[in-house]
Amino acid sequence: MTVEASTLDIPVAVAPAGMRRRVLRRILRNPLAVTGLVVVCVAALLAIFAQFVAPFPYDQVNFNEPLRPPSGTHWFGTDSFGRDQFSRAVYGLRASVLVGLLSVVFSLTIGVPFGLFAGFYGVLDPVVSRLTDTLLAFPFLVLAVGLAAILGPSLTTAVIAIGVAQIPGVVRVTRSETLRLRGMDFVAAAVAGGAGDAVLLRRHILPNATNALIVQATVAVPGAIIGEAVLSFLGLGVRPPTSSLGIMLADAQTFVRDGPWMAVFPGLTIVVLALALNLLGDGLRDALDPRESRSA
Amino acid sequence: MSLLTVRDLSVRFRTEDGPVLAVDRADFEVGQGEVVALVGESGCGKSVTALALTGLLAPNATVTGNVDLDGTDLLALPESRLRNIRGRDVAYIFQEPMTSLNPVLTIGRQIGEVLRRHRSMRGRAVARRAAELLELVGIPLPQRRLGEYPHQLSGGMRQRVMIAMAVACLPRLIVADEPTTALDVTIQAGILDVLRHLRDETGTAILLITHDLGVVADVADRVVVMYAGRVVEHSNVDALFAHPSHPYTRGLLDAVPNPARHADGGLREIPGRVPVVREPSDACTFADRCSYADSLCRTQRPLLEPWPGGHPVRCWHPLPARQGALI
Repeated sequence: MTVEASTLDIPVAVAPAGMRRRVLRRILRNPLAVTGLVVVCVAALLAIFAQFVAPFPYDQVNFNEPLRPPSGTHWFGTDSFGRDQFSRAVYGLRASVLVGLLSVVFSLTIGVPFGLFAGFYGVLDPVVSRLTDTLLAFPFLVLAVGLAAILGPSLTTAVIAIGVAQIPGVVRVTRSETLRLRGMDFVAAAVAGGAGDAVLLRRHILPNATNALIVQATVAVPGAIIGEAVLSFLGLGVRPPTSSLGIMLADAQTFVRDGPWMAVFPGLTIVVLALALNLLGDGLRDALDPRESRSA
Repeated sequence: MSLLTVRDLSVRFRTEDGPVLAVDRADFEVGQGEVVALVGESGCGKSVTALALTGLLAPNATVTGNVDLDGTDLLALPESRLRNIRGRDVAYIFQEPMTSLNPVLTIGRQIGEVLRRHRSMRGRAVARRAAELLELVGIPLPQRRLGEYPHQLSGGMRQRVMIAMAVACLPRLIVADEPTTALDVTIQAGILDVLRHLRDETGTAILLITHDLGVVADVADRVVVMYAGRVVEHSNVDALFAHPSHPYTRGLLDAVPNPARHADGGLREIPGRVPVVREPSDACTFADRCSYADSLCRTQRPLLEPWPGGHPVRCWHPLPARQGALI
């Protein structure tokens, strides 16, 4: 016993640090994740400070300079009304980021509890699963059109429509994680220690499902951003003259031949943002996995 | 008066292949501060018995009989009351230290959880008590370990943490379900030391489930032998090792590797395997594997009765008498 104790007492090189600090450190060692983080931060800052970053108001029309290619004054060129495309893209980013985040928060808020209960209480499972399937079978655009008819096209409509469309995915991931974790030894051990359902769900199941949920959210945020673009493109989301990356693409389709930059830059912005979010999500997932922290 | 008295405990499972009778009218006691070993092959109902005590079996199990813990009939209690008893009065230690701790919570949090749950401790007191517990189970640098995650500890250390959690509320009974099976031999010895030490220190009774007779000889005061869901023999540990009365117990003892017996060629096994019992039968469940079995064994259920000069055994032809006749 004493022999074992002394051999096991290996000095640990790393001082015990908080979990968050370790996660951050591990993200910072992953170049791809850092790239994603930087891009996402820049996009977030641009979105927040759009009015200071944009050289022109997003709705300032200038009929003297329609469809100008990118230049020193107009970095992303101008559209058919002579509006500065860079300024519009920056404001558009604001709508995209907002819709992306809010819709994911919305879907997690509703989907996680349902998934937990469905996975934990077998009685509820068939009900929740059938509801989820129904929602999944419901076409996203029909849902969005229906909501827009009731609420009117707006940013809120886009958030709710996209959020609702993402609920089934969240429920499924949470449910399957709950089912998996419910059978784990440490949950059985917690039950044997007198833990009630609330403690099991809150302390043992939900925290262990976090990684899967982060992955799910990582896929969902860029999906939501693209969804916002789709809705705005169809006129169901943000209304013109307010800018959004989707609206810019919608405007661009008439002028693909005369002003291809009108489509290229908003499109690139969406692609880069979605890619960066995915890289960041992968890095976060790796960094949050406590099993790999031996190397930290 | 025993701390734990189990009477007529039966456990039935409904399965897709029909009913299974996992425990068939088991009777045994565990006294205050006593270490009782529950032994038998895999699949003979040891773990099921242990889990049934506090209602930890899956919903497809039906438990009947009587489990009396110091005057309280545990089987009659509702789930909410059982939750208060689990971890506080009856604590469990499981076989798999590698997976029995929550990977995303620190050691301190997990031990603290039990203290918060049953002792209503809060704040600094929790951390202080958790550190004391780690020290009690022989973990060096307890303060630092509190902030670590399970993956940072070895298997033996994790099992010590599990034990620390089990003794956190000074339970009257610890059920240790093969606590050393997943560990290598030197670590096993350390863990057994800790259990023995705890019994001496805190006066807790231990129900030790194992198929390792070396462990039994090492720590147990009394032994309960189970076979195919039935208790077939029980006795204090010295008498059992000296005079195994049931052919099954004898078979178990003979199957232990022993250099003295290696001369006549290899290990002795008990032929066959534990049968799956579906209905309570009128025969001795061991008859099919027993070389002494006769028609009586195949038609009449033997009772668990002390034979003259011996301890209780469930056998029509207990060994000492037969051996005496033969030699």
